[in-house]
Order: sequence, then C-alpha cells, then structure tokens
Amino acid sequence: MKENIVIIGGGAAGLEAAGQLIRLGYSPIIVEKEDHLGGHLAEWHCLFPDMTPASDIVGRLAGAVSDANIFTNTEILFINHLKDSYNVMLSNGVSIIARVILFTTGFRLFDAARKEEYGYGIYNQVITNSDLEHWFRTGDDDRIGSVPMEAVGFVHCVGSRDEKAGNAQCSKVCCITAVKQAIEMKKRFPDAMVYCFYMDLRMFGKKYEDFYISAQRDYGVRFIRGRVSEVSENIEGKVVVKAEDTLAGKPVRVTLDLLVLMAGMVCNPDSTKVASMIPLQTDSDGFLKSKDNILEITSSSRKGIFYAGACTGPKTVPETLAEARSAALDIHNFIESL
Amino acid sequence: MRERFLTGYNDFVLPFMFGMAFILIWCLVGMIRIIAQLPREDRRRFFLSFLNPRILLKDIKDIFCDCLFHVKLWKRNKLLGYMHSSIAFGWFMLIVIGHIEVFFYAPHRAKLLYFPIFFRYFMAEDDSTMGGAFFFFLMDFFLLVVLSGIALAMIKRIHSRFFGMRRTTNPSFMDLVGLYSLWSIFPLRLLAEGFTADISGGSFLTKSLNTVFHAFLGNHVNMLPTWWAYSLALCVFFCALPFTRYMHIPTEILLIPLRNAGVKIRHPRKGYAEAEVYACPSCGVCIDACPMGVMKTHIKDTTVYLNRQLRRHNEERIEEISDKCLLCGKCTAVCPVGVEGDRLRIAQRSLRQYNITPDYSRIDTGELVRECSFSGPTGGKVLYFAGCMTALTPQIRKAVESVLTKAGIGYEMMDRDGGICCGRPMLMAGRFAPAEEMIRKNTEIIRASGASTLLLSCPICYRIFRENYSLDGIEVIHHTEYFDRLIRSGAISLGHTATRYVYHDPCELGRGCGIYDEPRAVIAAAGELVEADKHHKESICCGGSLGSLTLGFDKRQAMTANALNNLTKASPDSIVTACPLCLSTFHRYADRPVEDIAEIVDRNMN
Repeated sequence: MKENIVIIGGGAAGLEAAGQLIRLGYSPIIVEKEDHLGGHLAEWHCLFPDMTPASDIVGRLAGAVSDANIFTNTEILFINHLKDSYNVMLSNGVSIIARVILFTTGFRLFDAARKEEYGYGIYNQVITNSDLEHWFRTGDDDRIGSVPMEAVGFVHCVGSRDEKAGNAQCSKVCCITAVKQAIEMKKRFPDAMVYCFYMDLRMFGKKYEDFYISAQRDYGVRFIRGRVSEVSENIEGKVVVKAEDTLAGKPVRVTLDLLVLMAGMVCNPDSTKVASMIPLQTDSDGFLKSKDNILEITSSSRKGIFYAGACTGPKTVPETLAEARSAALDIHNFIESL
Repeated sequence: MRERFLTGYNDFVLPFMFGMAFILIWCLVGMIRIIAQLPREDRRRFFLSFLNPRILLKDIKDIFCDCLFHVKLWKRNKLLGYMHSSIAFGWFMLIVIGHIEVFFYAPHRAKLLYFPIFFRYFMAEDDSTMGGAFFFFLMDFFLLVVLSGIALAMIKRIHSRFFGMRRTTNPSFMDLVGLYSLWSIFPLRLLAEGFTADISGGSFLTKSLNTVFHAFLGNHVNMLPTWWAYSLALCVFFCALPFTRYMHIPTEILLIPLRNAGVKIRHPRKGYAEAEVYACPSCGVCIDACPMGVMKTHIKDTTVYLNRQLRRHNEERIEEISDKCLLCGKCTAVCPVGVEGDRLRIAQRSLRQYNITPDYSRIDTGELVRECSFSGPTGGKVLYFAGCMTALTPQIRKAVESVLTKAGIGYEMMDRDGGICCGRPMLMAGRFAPAEEMIRKNTEIIRASGASTLLLSCPICYRIFRENYSLDGIEVIHHTEYFDRLIRSGAISLGHTATRYVYHDPCELGRGCGIYDEPRAVIAAAGELVEADKHHKESICCGGSLGSLTLGFDKRQAMTANALNNLTKASPDSIVTACPLCLSTFHRYADRPVEDIAEIVDRNMN
C-alpha cells in the first residue's frame, strides 16, 4: 500500500509501531535525530522485573523494521499543513507528503543539576540513574571507584512530583528502577550498605511488589521514607546525606561512597518544538495532549496525527509497546476510512 | 485697606469654623493617643529629641522637604512631584500670606481664626493699598499654582501613566468625598475672590476674571452664595478628613519627629505603627513596586491596601495580606512618607498565638560550642557561617571555601556538620521568642570560637546578624564585601573576561543592608557589568523569598519570570546574584546561567 506514514522518533514506541505497520502492509518512514535506534532504551543495561537485557529488546524491535525507511541523524525542519495532508521537511533535504504522522518523540531525563541541593555536577560521587546504567553497560565511569563500595544511596523522585522543579507529575518508573539498580549494586558489592530514600513507593506493575520485597529480604536494601534535605562532601571526598526518617520521626545522616539520583521523566523540548509546527496542544505538564485520556489516548485533536509512548506522559516499556501497537491499529483504521 | 463691615463677621464663616474646630480637636486627641500608646522608653526618647537641636533641625527640614515639597516624589517623577508639591506648598503659602495680609492691614483681627481665609470678603481696597498689590499678586500666583496641581490631579485619575504610575489606588467612598471637596475648594475660592475683586482688589487672576465676566461676577447679589459654598467645601473637607486618606497631611507632621527620634514599630496597631498607617497618603506608588503586582489578583495585597484595612480594623483581610507578603521591602524603599510595609506586617504576624511553641531543649548543641583552630597558611580568624540556604546550594559554599583557601586565609566553618538557624525566618514569621533563642545560642557559639570575623554567604542570615545580634568586637561581613576588600587590598586579583554580567540585588542585601556597590565592584573586576532595568533599591524580588507564609509556587512563578525579564533587558550572558535563595529560584526558570559572585571570583582568580 502506497501510503506515507511518518514516524517521528526511533525509540521503543517508534520501532514497535513501525514493525506493526509493516506487518499490516505499510511502509512507514522513521525519522530519528540520533545516529542509532532505540532511544533511551539503547542506553539502558537491563530492565525490571526480570533483568532482561535492554539490548535484546532493542535488537528484536529493530530487527522487525529492517525493511522500513529509516533516516537517522535527521531532524524535522518544518511541517506544513496542506489541505488534507502534511508536508514534512527533513534536515537531510528529503520532503515527504504524508496523511499520517505518528509522534513517538518520547521524554527527556530531568536535568539533575537543577536540584542544586543534591550536588549533581558539584560533588564527584553524585551520579544519576542514567549514569549508573551506563556504568553497568560499559563499566566506564571514573566517578565510580574500583575499590569496593561501602555505602550507596538512591534518591527517589528527583525532579518528579516536585513543584519546585516545575514537574508535578510522577515519572512512574523510578521507584522500580531504583529497586532494580539497588539490587544490581548489591550484587556487585555484596558488603555495601544500600539505602533508598523515598517519599512513596509506587509498586503498581506486575511482579513489582515481589521485586521490592526481594530487595529487602534477599538483598538487604534499606528503604528510608523521607526526602533528602541536603548533600555535602566530607574531607575524605565522601558524600554526606542528611534526610529525615519520617517513619521513625528522626533526622538521619549517612556517609556514602556513591549517591544515585533517580532523575525523572520530563517533557521533551524537541517534541514540543515539532508539535508547535502543526500546532498541537500540550498539557499543563508540558507533554503532548491526547484527544481523550481514556478512549483516544493515541489520537491528537488533529486529523492524521497520532501519539504513542512517553510523548504524552511518563510510561513503562510494556505500556509504551502496547500503546505503539494500538496506535498502529488506529492508523490502519484511519487510512481504511479515508 | 479698610474693613467693609464693622463686626468683621458673617454667618458664612460658621461651617468653616465648625470644620476647623472639629479637625483640630480630632488631631489633638489622636496625637495624644499615639504618644500615650508609645512604650515609656520610646516616649521619653520622643520628648528628649526636641531638646536636641540636630534632631530638631532635621525635623523641620524633613517636614518641609517631605510634606510641602515632596522631594521624594520629584525624584520619582517630575510631574507627580509637581502635582503634589503644588497643592501642598501652594496651599501652605496661601495660608501664610493670608496671615501676613491680616497682620499688615487688619492686625486687630488677627485673633479671628477665619479672618485670613475670608480676608478678601471682609476688606475693601482703598488708595493706600497699592503696596498690597505685592501680596495680591502672590496670593493669585499661589492660587494658580494650586489650581494647576488640582488640574493635574484630575488628569492623573484618568491617565496615571503620564505620572509614571502604571497603576494607582482605587479610592474608597470616603476618599472620593475628600477628593471632590478638596478639588472644589480652590475653584470656589477663585470664584468667590473673583466676585469681590472689584471691591477688595485682586491681581492678574481674580481681577482679570472679574473684568472678563463682569456681567456675572460684577453682580454682588451672587457674591454671598459663593462665599458660603467656599466655606462649606472647607467644612466638608475638614469633617471628612479623618475618614479619608487626607489624614496623612496632619499625621505626617507627627510621624517625622517620631521617626527622627528613633521610635520603632512595636505593635501593629498602636503608637508608631498607627502613625504610619494614618500617614499613608494612598498614593499607590507601592502598587507598582510590589513584586506580587504582576498578577492582578494580588493588587489588593499591597501596603496601601493593608493600611486601609488596618484603618478599618478588617481583621480577616489584615491577616491575609500580612501573611502573603514576601517582605522584600520595596514598598518601604519607595514610599514617599516612609511607611514600613514589611515591619508592619511582621508586627502583625507577631500577634498570632501558636498552640505549639517549639522546644529545642532536646537538641544537643553542646559540641557546637568550641574553640576553633583556624587552620590556614596565614593568620586570620574568619569564621564562615554558610547557613541553611547555602547548604542547599553547595556550589556557593564550595566556591567561597576555595577562594579562602587559595587566598591563604585561616578560616573555620561554623556549620560544616550542621548548625543552628540564624533565626531570621522565625523573625520574619513574627515568632520573636524562638528567634531570640537561636540568636542566643549562635552568639555563644561565635564567641566561644575565638573568631574576629564572621563571614556569611546568605543575605538572610547577614541581615539578622547585623540587626539583632550583639557581636561587639567581631566583624560581621558578607562574602561580597569580603571579596571586594580582598581585591582592593591586593590579596587576590581577578582576570578580566569579556563576559557580560547582570547583577541582581537580593532584597535582604540591598534594601535590607544597603550593600549595593561592593558586589558590583567585584563583578566589574571579573567582566563587563550591565544593569537591569530596575536595580539598586528598585530591584525586583526573585519571588523565592521565605518572607511569605502563604504564597504558593504557582503564584511565585509569574513573579520570578517578571524578575528575570527585568534582569535580562540588557541581554547579559550570565545572571549574578549574592543570595543562595535568589540563585536557586532563578535557576529554576532562567534561560541563561545563574551564578553566585563567589563562583565568578573562584573561576577568575589568578
């Protein structure tokens, strides 16, 4: 079928939607600004709750789209609204006339340096969840010493559910990611004390609760309910974390070799930029606004524009994939009805 | 000149006499009340101030400059200054010259209160009055000055932007009564004197008027009703005065000697505070100044409306307004009469009764009190108190420590492993007792350390250490001043770069402590300094102030955006401030780097 479908973003959602559309007989075009496919997933080491390697998932998703037109290192220059289609101009000089555009532009990781009190970028021993995954994957990070660690801390909700940071939304995945990363650290450094500073633990997904119980029972990860108030450095170059244990009602102070900030998901400014070319509505949290939050979550208020994945709000990988399939089906039905 | 009537009296003087008597008694009672409400020590100070010729001279100078010439308004906007001073000074001169006339031409009537006011009715011109032409000219001249002021006041009501004011106060009903009676006094006077100009004489204004409209003004039947109207307008104005904003005219004359005597606000409703509340002329200069003014919903939370509610004893609104304020102090800085909006609010907050009083006794602070060794290559006993806000912005503390180390200054940190709050947040919340407790403990720690200099990074701490601590012999200094001194003395030197910096004056450091030049000198040594649209004492609060007890983040965001907009007018490369709270507030929304002065000094040090 000769119907141009432009998919903006070659992450998990984009790849899965493209795979499904190919199976339905279409030949979608994937536009990806990076030089590789897979988005954030390609940067990750392994995924909760079964510790599946992220590279396997990216490999399978990318394998299914080998026949598609893929433009990497390509950005959208502008989108013109024609009578019943869109003219998409790409940075590589290609211009596409399409009746369907699928936004799979995803999210951006919160810039942890904006929470100055946690000292990211100021103290050497403070890293983010993403930095830690990078180290898991490549073993390459001079901030993480080769000597065995004695104590590691995780701060939940960095830039999520935080009005001061301008993000009221929950990022959904950080709670369980912290549990996963805590277990991984414990596996690497069995003698280390691992602390998680949380305000709520939102273990909503399948097997999450088991994973959390296992982290406490089998790995001895210590969960402290209370936000970290400030982080400083002592003379030995270790980080000193002050927090309040709100269950015990006492202030706590721990000295750590490594502090990991669970940076949350915020709206992707690139996504907002492209959306403003059409223009599409954004929600109060900055993410793209679905036509309806229950019935038409993959549709925009404009004809022929569809959404899938974290461009409409924080989502887990399974949710993103399910949404991508759903969007593919919606697109198919839309084209049939034309 | 000769008198027209043997009695020197007409019934139309009665309304004026009634109004005058009323307002004089009211003011006298009010003055006695305010002075009686002062604490004994303040009252003593007030009376003693009149014996001090220096203060007395200052009183007189301030009364002339503030009440008559409105010098502060002239500095703000020439047209606004002219409008106010023309009415105030013009009217004052009319009264003075009126009395001189009586003294010259009818000295035996000088004891009659009304005689100088209605002089032209009771007197008639004769050949000998050519000498009086001088006074007639002056009288007409000042009447013209007042009338021009009234005309400007009318224009201001319609279009306040001509006078440099974006917004102006919404007058209350009584204010309007006062306003219209005030506006009518002088045109009526002109008309009344126009009628008698061919009898009593006049000058370029009244005489010409009489000649031009001779058919009407030459008719003496119309004369008496206009003099009645003039007297009635005066009566209405005087009787309405205590219930209008014009009460500021007599109150300011009391406020100035009180202020010069060093009396401070101790209670939000009594004594000095009451004088301030009634001295508020409702000019509305504070409305444009207020950082909350970016949102229309907050206009009624500005100081002018606080004063109005305080006069009305509207408790609910008074509390709401007092709690909402950011205490940036800009309304105080720009107020032409010196109403201290921030202190009034703190005093109001101090009235609140809390069911729970904090108990710090279980916190062990014993180990904080110790003698410090002050390690460092050279001598110097600098005790560095970073404060809790700096603990949340570790880059500042790191930079200050780095500069001190590189400069080879012996220092010790007062709160490396936790310290005690300086007490300013409690003080701002009006909770003086807990604040006092913190002040006592910190004083003990500082004294025990053996330091000679207390170095601070947070202007919030700096202000309370300067104002409320008694640390005789120990110098309290903010790092901007300290670095400026190090640069001047040659102890450190900075490399100059082409970076364009704009400096944001933090409220507590600028308006609070008057530190404006030192930070600018430091920045100028490191790069190109540009100024914001509004700066120095007009600087706009970042919106993050912990002064407000009730303002939410959604509301503050608009204020921060407005403050940033003001700072980036000259398109600087980087925003520099000297307060950790401003830093983290701006950091949240700024489109360019936001840094503390310490970071710049650290980076550019040779």
